Amino acid sequence: MSLDQRRLDRAEQVEHLRHKIAAISGKVGPGRRGEGSSNDVLPELESLLPLPELSPASGWYPQTERLPTALSRGTVAVLSGARSLPLSMVAAVTAAGGHAAIVGQPDVGLLAAVEMGADLSRIAVIPEPGADPVEVAAVLMDGMDLVVLGLGGRTVPATRARAVVARARQKGCTLLVAGGDWQGASARLEARVSGYEMTCGSGGRISRVRLAMRARGRSLGSVHAVGG
Amino acid sequence: MSVSRVLAIWCMDWPAVAAAAAAGLLPTSPVAVMLANRVIACSASARAAGVRRGLRRREAQARCPELHVATADPARDARHFENVTAAVDDLVPRAEVLRPGLLVLPVRGAARYFGSEQAAAERLVDAVAAAGTECQVGIADRLPTAVFAARAGRIVEPGKDAVFLSALSIRQLATEPSLAAPGREDLADLLWRMGIRNIGQFAALSRADVASRFGADAVAAHRLARAEPSRGPSGREPPPELDAVMDCDPPIDRVDAAAFAGRSLACELHRSLEGSGVGCTRLAIHAVTANGEELNRVWRCAEPLTEDATADRVRWQLDGWLNRRNPNDRPTAPITVLRLHPVEVVSAEALQLPLWGPPVKMTDSAYRALVRVQGLLGPEAVQVPVLSGGRGPAERITLTPLGDEPVPWADPSQPWPGQLPEPSPTVLLDDPVEVLDGEGNPVRVTGRGLFSAEPARLAAPGRDGRLSWWAGPWPVDERWWDPDRKAGRTARAQVLLDGDPGQAMLLCYRQRRWYLEGIYE
Repeated sequence: MSLDQRRLDRAEQVEHLRHKIAAISGKVGPGRRGEGSSNDVLPELESLLPLPELSPASGWYPQTERLPTALSRGTVAVLSGARSLPLSMVAAVTAAGGHAAIVGQPDVGLLAAVEMGADLSRIAVIPEPGADPVEVAAVLMDGMDLVVLGLGGRTVPATRARAVVARARQKGCTLLVAGGDWQGASARLEARVSGYEMTCGSGGRISRVRLAMRARGRSLGSVHAVGG
Repeated sequence: MSVSRVLAIWCMDWPAVAAAAAAGLLPTSPVAVMLANRVIACSASARAAGVRRGLRRREAQARCPELHVATADPARDARHFENVTAAVDDLVPRAEVLRPGLLVLPVRGAARYFGSEQAAAERLVDAVAAAGTECQVGIADRLPTAVFAARAGRIVEPGKDAVFLSALSIRQLATEPSLAAPGREDLADLLWRMGIRNIGQFAALSRADVASRFGADAVAAHRLARAEPSRGPSGREPPPELDAVMDCDPPIDRVDAAAFAGRSLACELHRSLEGSGVGCTRLAIHAVTANGEELNRVWRCAEPLTEDATADRVRWQLDGWLNRRNPNDRPTAPITVLRLHPVEVVSAEALQLPLWGPPVKMTDSAYRALVRVQGLLGPEAVQVPVLSGGRGPAERITLTPLGDEPVPWADPSQPWPGQLPEPSPTVLLDDPVEVLDGEGNPVRVTGRGLFSAEPARLAAPGRDGRLSWWAGPWPVDERWWDPDRKAGRTARAQVLLDGDPGQAMLLCYRQRRWYLEGIYE
């Protein structure tokens, strides 16, 4: 073996290790979306999943306390409180050309997601995931960009969670867990209704739902405080 | 000489029997079937009352006042005869229907199976009787002779066809329309007037004389009279077998082995599908384990499965079966027999695939992940939403199983007056609740579309509370023409449970009850 060849091998090895590190940290480097033809579809989704920018015009009005602008791709976040939050994230992902699956939430109001801008043809619903919803979510990570998983009050132990978290990171799929606990989740988002706005007059009705959101965790993008 | 004997099953007065069955009458009631104001068939009880073929309607009714008169309908005859055909097919396959009411079939196999021709005939009479019809059976060497034998209810001994026929009247030549050309009655009449009174005398004439004097149909009749070889019964072919079956040796207990099996089985299936020029849109995967357990699942697809897609589905399905989370649900033994059965096929011309790409807007990887979940949970488990027409938030989304054509329940482009404006509730429910006024009496929606009293409190398990605000009711004026629709108004209202900020809900009033339809959160 010539010296050049060996040097080349070494360079390749270094490059390979760099990729590995990048993939593990989940922050940079080519995730699943970073390669091939899908690159041009979702450039902005490469490493960060945008949190919804809820415009007042859509009827959903975020009144945020601390608003993270993005959630890293390939992370697991536990959501609690108002259901508008996962729906708005589904809407944001599908509107940007990604795919989303909603597992174990038979009562989800998809029409609200449409009103937030979701593309229904990129959403799949698995209302009854059977005895093991985590397994179904793990299978869906292969092709989905966002999986919303309703646990129905279950708690996923850390041992089980670790394998799924690794899979999520490897596949670049964000898992949002609702209605249960996920031990060792890297982010926790909580949303609650802070108020309703009604149109005045005799034909009054609800015209806006104001949300307040709180986030804590490691894998959030730039977090900034917004006056509420 | 090898003689394939023929059995004929003749159901008497079939048009009358079918008409009675269609009208829900007893088989013993007098029925006459009319064509062009003439009786063409009547039941035995009508015949006993003096009704005959060829009578006018009025005359027939005069002879038998309680006569049920039906018009001739070949489609009805054929439809009702299908039961008889099926009953006979269960016992002896490949029966040929000469006309509704008359079946012929080769008797050799049945005679061997049931022991004798007599026993086979008895079994067939029983089977047809179980299907609700009376019949007579005749057996002879030749097909036409068997039909005449059935009319006489006789079994003609081998080689005695001509003897049996010779005693029959010459007019019998024209009685069976399925064996006679249109001009046969004239021929029978002519032969009668020439002094030929029975079929035996006709058979004694030389073939050359008959052919030179009476024409082609007379030659056919002459062959019949002499019991010369004619065609045998030609029953319907069973549909070609498209199943692909594999006996797994060694038995499959691992997923990688299942993948190989799926690939080769899919290849075999698609060769047979291509051979018959069809595509498969519904595929049943069937597996039998060494302990005799049977596993079955049907896959549906809006477009025909390709070979790769079939192989994938077999692999996922076997993966799903072999690696079920719950060990109690897993098969207790490895899989020994694997069968792919195309449940629904479409002909190649009927396929109209879109020019570019799959009909869904999903990427390949997303679609494959969802199909895998279908393998784990069943094809109905993965649902794809599509916007639909409607007024309530639940009606406006139709969920269809992945792979089926996403057809909305109603057209969303119609105006739908009374549709609720944005925003929609994010949680959809359908729980009965009670809406009470200040005194604790239930609030209704009146016929004019107003609350009967001002709502003040919501009572429901876990959701009790005072109302701080309400809006509506907005009546829904739909399906008033539908007799199935229950009485009472349908209306929707929004309420806000007291609190800071409280909980906003969408209520629906229907069938004189309130239902919690959605929560805004």
